[in-house]
Amino acid sequence: MAKALRFKFSRSEQLKYIAHLDILRVFERALKRSKLPLAYTQGFNPRQKLVFGLPMSIGLTSEAEYADIEFEQDVAPEDFIRSMNSSLPEGIRILEAVEQNINDNIMNQITAAKYEIGLETREDISQNEMDNILHRLLSRDEIFVLKKTKKGMRPVNIRPWIYSLSIRKKEMNSFLMEAFLSAGAENNLRADLLMQAFNQETGLEAKTLAMHRKALYASSFNKWQDPFEVANG
Amino acid sequence: MVKKNPEEVSLRFAFCFPDDYEIGMSHLGMKIMYHVLNKREDTYCERAFAPWADMEALLRENNIPLYTLETYTPLHEFDMVGFTLQYEMSFSNILNMLDLGGIPVLSKERTGNMPFVLAGGPCACNPEPIADFIDFFVIGEGEEVTPEIIEEYKKWKGSGESRDQFLERIAVIEGVYVPKLYDVSYHEDGTIKEVKPSSPIAPAKVKRRLIRDLDAVDFPDDIIVPYVGTVHDRIMLELFRGCIRGCRFCQAGFIYRPVRERSYEKLLDLAQKSVEKTGYDEISLISLSTSDYSSLPDLCNNLIKFTESEKVSLSLPSLRVDNFSLGLMEKVSKVRKSGLTFAPEAGTQRLRDVINKGVTDEDLVSSVQLAVAGGWSSVKLYFMLGLPTEAMEDVEGIADMGINLLEACRGLPGEYSKALRITLSTSCFVPKPFTPFQWEPMDSMASLMEKQYHLKDRIKKRTRRIDYRYHDAKLSFMEAVLARGDRRIGQVLYAAWKKGCKFDGWDEFFSFDKWMEAFRECGIDPEFYANRKRKFTEVMPWDHLDMGISKDFLQHECQKAYEGDLTRNCAVGCSQCGAQAYKAGICTKAKRGASENG
Repeated sequence: MAKALRFKFSRSEQLKYIAHLDILRVFERALKRSKLPLAYTQGFNPRQKLVFGLPMSIGLTSEAEYADIEFEQDVAPEDFIRSMNSSLPEGIRILEAVEQNINDNIMNQITAAKYEIGLETREDISQNEMDNILHRLLSRDEIFVLKKTKKGMRPVNIRPWIYSLSIRKKEMNSFLMEAFLSAGAENNLRADLLMQAFNQETGLEAKTLAMHRKALYASSFNKWQDPFEVANG
Repeated sequence: MVKKNPEEVSLRFAFCFPDDYEIGMSHLGMKIMYHVLNKREDTYCERAFAPWADMEALLRENNIPLYTLETYTPLHEFDMVGFTLQYEMSFSNILNMLDLGGIPVLSKERTGNMPFVLAGGPCACNPEPIADFIDFFVIGEGEEVTPEIIEEYKKWKGSGESRDQFLERIAVIEGVYVPKLYDVSYHEDGTIKEVKPSSPIAPAKVKRRLIRDLDAVDFPDDIIVPYVGTVHDRIMLELFRGCIRGCRFCQAGFIYRPVRERSYEKLLDLAQKSVEKTGYDEISLISLSTSDYSSLPDLCNNLIKFTESEKVSLSLPSLRVDNFSLGLMEKVSKVRKSGLTFAPEAGTQRLRDVINKGVTDEDLVSSVQLAVAGGWSSVKLYFMLGLPTEAMEDVEGIADMGINLLEACRGLPGEYSKALRITLSTSCFVPKPFTPFQWEPMDSMASLMEKQYHLKDRIKKRTRRIDYRYHDAKLSFMEAVLARGDRRIGQVLYAAWKKGCKFDGWDEFFSFDKWMEAFRECGIDPEFYANRKRKFTEVMPWDHLDMGISKDFLQHECQKAYEGDLTRNCAVGCSQCGAQAYKAGICTKAKRGASENG
């Protein structure tokens, strides 16, 4: 039982085109329907105390999203999961929840994300050739792409934000890339921007078929940690 | 979203909104009918909206017919495809949606087991411009008549009878209008000679349906909650239908008579259940004039207790400004006080009397002073240009009213009294069927534009604290043609749609030139419909519909308008408009008497 929980949820194919702010409202309304004893912010426009780990871009599916929620009274994680899953729409499921009792919220803790990106090249490329292409890309010190920043579109070096990339050939011209990328409030590299850089640098004109978030990580003491492991400091 | 197995129902109904999703999902009528239809086990009602141009291009490119959102079923597979007619400028979207849905656009080309296409809603009170495309219309409120139609459909389905036989079955239901059962003949001057039934079954006058007791019909508390933000993204509580005021330009003020209220106990119950089932954090009270709801204090006091404890905000549109309503807004407002909107409609007292808008300059000044002293920082005022009998001094009165208000608020307490912003907004008056102005010519586009420029100029010369906005006269002209058009307009609509007209209510799509080309090709003069003064004796294209308002009353109101003679509202006393025949709502209540003339 706890007044604050950290929970993990998934978003499937059928809701992948819903924008992040709309997903936020889906949660707010589902929470309201759930009748859980929600905590609200003080002031003119009271809001639920709900914080998401990392925004989900349009088109992204995920099996590992995280959020923190606060209550007025203690709520058991299993009660939370049960009542939320009966009030959430199809396409979003709460997978797990743990007690949370730190001041640092999930948004400040997330530092990395793991993606699976399905892509299709124009021509048949061998696994070997693709490995070489990726190797050449990763051996560069700088990869500049235009990124939308607060000051407008700016060229940004994303190379330091790519922690690892690997690719597996599925058939003919269809590949599955696994990308481990910097994420979070600072230095966030989105999967679609990575693919834009990939195409720009390799000239492959690969089409992105699917983007899926496999995991989010927090880091502490120089190691990657599951966000649940840092839910209690 | 309601889920059913389509195999297990007798009737599949596609409710189509001829505008985009964000508009359509804001429409209360659709939510009501969706609820009423889906409550029936034998019926599955699904929704479809007009796809935006990019989506339409993809649908056409990939040969995907327009489908419903519930089961992705193409429109042509439904038993009935129903459109709601909220705005004349969405008519072209109806044709486009039928075409996209794989249904022949013209009613006469539909055969066999193709869907029946029906339409209802306020614009159905003149159904003639779209009579070529719609198999039958539902005139009036749909909650009770639609189930009657469904029962007939079930009897017809599998009976081996023809499509026409189904239409004949339902033509006898009160509130159903089957246009193909009526012949229209014309005089040489182009006016209508006669509209008469071509079948002995069809009634000479189709009577509008109405719900006598709102508490007795179902109102949805389990509405669909959209993922994306819609225009009205909140719980809507319908306080009452109809309006006691009788402003002479306002179609809604006549075609929904008499006023019938929902009890406040019922509304409170609906509010609580709706919040519970939807999770919305906002409730809006819906009616044509919230202040006229007879139990408003009881409703609001109880509602506020509930909304405060549930962290729900309450919005109160269509309120007249007085101490009570400002106090109320103060209590319920969870957002910053930003803008208040008033609708004096005309710039001089004379013209406001013509339109029976019982608002005086003093009312307005004191309302705005109250608002500004209460901390509101901007005020928006809505007017119409081109009202009957309007002269240039009435137009100038609009600018003068804005300036007077600025001056009247100078030196008031309230942080914004010195920085008050006023927006004056003018639309173009469009004469509508079943109003006292149904015989009036619409002002010409040239004259409307001249008035707009004159007003702009007059305001700019005097102050910078007034912002002036105006509507496109060309769009209003088209609205005027469609609003009072007859069956011959159908071919123009068809030609315009063929030229690509759609989403005509949207600036980025509306093409006046394409419409004018369509008129030229069809040899039809749009000014005949928009700008011609009609005689009281002329047969109107909608005369075979009985909306419950007598033509004599409308004519009398029109004559009173010329004299600037006010008509009392229904709460004060009855003016014998014809709606008393329904013996419902306010018509059955005691009147306050002639002491008040508001």
